[in-house]
Amino acid sequence: MAPDLTVISTAVALPFAAAALSPLLYRVLGERTGYAGAVVAAASFGLLATGIGEYGTVGVPWVPALDVGIRFTVDGWGLLFALLASGIGVLVFVYSAAYMHGEEGLARYYAALLAFMGSILGVALASDLVSIFLFWELTSLCSFVLIGHYTEDDGSRYSARMAMVVTVGGGLCLLAGLLMLAAAARGALGGATFDLTAMIANDEAMRAALRESGLFVPALGLIVVAAAAKSAQVPLHFWLPNAMVAPTPVSAFLHSATMVKVGVYFLGRVRPLLMSPEWVLLVATLGLLTMTVGALLAVASTDTKELLAYSTASHLGLMVAGFGFDVVYGGEAGAFHLLNHALFKAPLFLVAGIVAHEAGSRDLDDLGGLWRELPITAAITAVAALSMAGIPPFNGFYSKELLFEATYEVAHEAGGVAWLYPAAATLASVLTVVYSVKFLALFFGERRAPVAEVHRPPLALVAPPAALAAAAAVVSVAPQLAVDAVVQGAVDATATGEAQLEVGLPTHLSPPVAMSAVAVFGGAAAYPLRERLAAGVRRGVDAPIPVRPSGWYDWIVSTAALTSVRFGSAVHNGLLRTYVGWVAAAGSLFALAGFAAAGASLGVDGVGGIGVPLAVAVVLGVATLAGVAVATASSHVSGVLTLSILGFMLAIFFILASAPDLALTQLVVETLVLLVFLLVLQRLPSFYADVRPLAVARDAGVSILVGATAFVSVLLTMPGPDTEPTSVATYYTEQAIPGGGGANVVNVILVDFRAFDTLGELLVVTIAAIAVLVLVTMRTRGEAVTEGDEEAVLDGGDSP
Amino acid sequence: MRTTARVTVPIVLVVSVSLFLQGHNLPGGGFIGGVLTAAAFVLIYVAHDLDYLESGVLGRQVESGTSVFEHRTVTAYRRTLLAGLVIVLGSGFAGILAGDPFLTQGYVHLEGVPIYHEVELASALAFDLGVYLVVVGSLLTIVSVVSGE
Repeated sequence: MAPDLTVISTAVALPFAAAALSPLLYRVLGERTGYAGAVVAAASFGLLATGIGEYGTVGVPWVPALDVGIRFTVDGWGLLFALLASGIGVLVFVYSAAYMHGEEGLARYYAALLAFMGSILGVALASDLVSIFLFWELTSLCSFVLIGHYTEDDGSRYSARMAMVVTVGGGLCLLAGLLMLAAAARGALGGATFDLTAMIANDEAMRAALRESGLFVPALGLIVVAAAAKSAQVPLHFWLPNAMVAPTPVSAFLHSATMVKVGVYFLGRVRPLLMSPEWVLLVATLGLLTMTVGALLAVASTDTKELLAYSTASHLGLMVAGFGFDVVYGGEAGAFHLLNHALFKAPLFLVAGIVAHEAGSRDLDDLGGLWRELPITAAITAVAALSMAGIPPFNGFYSKELLFEATYEVAHEAGGVAWLYPAAATLASVLTVVYSVKFLALFFGERRAPVAEVHRPPLALVAPPAALAAAAAVVSVAPQLAVDAVVQGAVDATATGEAQLEVGLPTHLSPPVAMSAVAVFGGAAAYPLRERLAAGVRRGVDAPIPVRPSGWYDWIVSTAALTSVRFGSAVHNGLLRTYVGWVAAAGSLFALAGFAAAGASLGVDGVGGIGVPLAVAVVLGVATLAGVAVATASSHVSGVLTLSILGFMLAIFFILASAPDLALTQLVVETLVLLVFLLVLQRLPSFYADVRPLAVARDAGVSILVGATAFVSVLLTMPGPDTEPTSVATYYTEQAIPGGGGANVVNVILVDFRAFDTLGELLVVTIAAIAVLVLVTMRTRGEAVTEGDEEAVLDGGDSP
Repeated sequence: MRTTARVTVPIVLVVSVSLFLQGHNLPGGGFIGGVLTAAAFVLIYVAHDLDYLESGVLGRQVESGTSVFEHRTVTAYRRTLLAGLVIVLGSGFAGILAGDPFLTQGYVHLEGVPIYHEVELASALAFDLGVYLVVVGSLLTIVSVVSGE
């Protein structure tokens, strides 16, 4: 049964509509806007939940010629992600209402959060490459606004910019990759299409088409880079810990449960399409590397949110690695861990927020033994942290076990270097246990806190993580329940073949079970050594720039900024004549190069055939003389007068060439220009500077170049004397009286046939007038503007 | 110079209006007419000054000391420019109201009008009037602001 388009599009559009209304809502509801946001999220969740089991694609066309559409594909994978985003969204909005108490800029905060939720739902459900890209970039934009929530804070702005540069840069890679897919689909699917679902359905043909055009590896690489930037994979992971300057609900929502999973989500989505040896090598290696590096950095962290950020990167690596392996277990691990990770990481972030709020510190060294004052929070943390560590029977164990099975199977088949896969997975899991216990130690052991008395948090702060921990507990006790409800659908959508997910506690000892045992006991054994481990990691992190990706980022950004400043002052030096010279020379060169590239040949022989009447020759001769006189004029007055002679000669030429309209225009404009010159003449300086020969040569060169371009263009575009008028010209001439009701063809074209062009020209004239106004206004503010500016704009506005 | 201006400006203005009106069938049109009208005004500026239009022609008191941007004639020119744009766009949208595409033009022949006997009324004239006003308004804004400096 196909899903209902109205239901799906309402679920996606609802958060956007609420985001647009949120300033209004905030004015009415004040800080209770958070609860309104929760209602919106719950409504989207409810609408989507009705779609469980009704899988299919629905949509309306947008650009039918390119087969671009507003299309939604509802399948288990998209629905799992969308339900997670809206479900956690409900809790985050409730939590925000309490956590953001007394903060500024809440209207913007809720608007961004709602728009973000809508974009995530869009990414999860969109089936069209164009809409996927749009929603993808929207998530980056909302994330930018939310990370930079404290706009006064330098660190906040720096982090927001960093997240923006990395994720939007990744987004551009995605765009390129998606366009490659679309190009391949044109051949493979018989026609232009942007429908990802159709591409996945014909994955064999798509792969063949991509390989044939040599785009397979570039497309794969670009999509993986995009996903890695979004999902904080090594070496693009550095923005995620910095993003923790955002308010804690944002960290919980965007940077653990949803946005960072967009990359993982999309890898899962295109996995059936791009599965190949290259995919396995690239994605699985990337995932396991991130898993290990992230875990190492998490162990070295001293800040609660930083620890959770690195652990998020590590777990994202686990999912990416799962999707990287071409075995059934791999896809299952990725899909199931998406759910499990959201269920344990979101509450952990919310707990970190509670601790920061109530105990006044985020420093792991300052905190301990808080279970006495925060018993419920401690219980929540226990469930979530043990799940994160992958201790059986908590839910994180099941998906991690699936990854172990995948790595083992791959290594067993391939042998040799492939044994590094299970080794890396086990090592990362050992470290995971260490940092999970480290986080849990906030609540146990000796009591340490910077404040004497830790208050009980309000219900709105405790209820959301409690609900998530309860969900994690349910999945832990009855994993098959979750699998049947939605995860199996997700596994089907991301699997390359048939997959039937069966989870449960292991009943006999197998190599993967042994890996889990090593992880748990190894972690327990390594826990006492964590300080030495952390010191070692920090020494590595403090190494010089080459091994620190964030150092690279800083270097690139600062270098780019410096270069821009230098480039700007070199190009934008404030001298109008320089600009005119560059523009004229560059334009002429491009035009000439264009002619040369098009292979145009100069029809010199055709020119000789035109008989030139004596009158025309005389007029043009005088015009040429006047032109020479302008350049050599000794004073402004004589220059202006000779220029007018040139103009009037042209007008006479137009009359001789039977173009009365042009002649009239030329005459009138010439008169006006002469009058304007008279107005400004006395303001022009009478003496500029001694003429430098080099400058004269340069100017002469530019002039000759422009003249040559004009000459060549006329020669090339002019029809021969005997050619018939083109069909357009004939049409205008014939239709002028019956169609436009005027005998003056030029005027009828201007005001009727091509009235839209005239409208555009009028806008140009208006803009010129406004520009002059602005220039003159700025001049009185002390900006140096030469007289030439005004002349240039005036002349620009005059030409019809 | 002033004497010449006194004689020529009215002639130039009449010619410009006739150029504008006959533009549909004979050489001329809103653009040329507009530029010519602007030229007539510039002639006045060259012969007299910015305040002459107000003090000499309309007989109003001129407030001295205001900057050129608040000058009453400059404001009037800006309004002319604006009115021209409105007319252009309005004549374009009028076609939409009649169910035609944007900027569609039509014309009717009116017969039996006194003196002229037969007058052709084209909706393009409204468009051209807009062109005329925009050209006059923008050129005079530019010229008066520049000359005011």
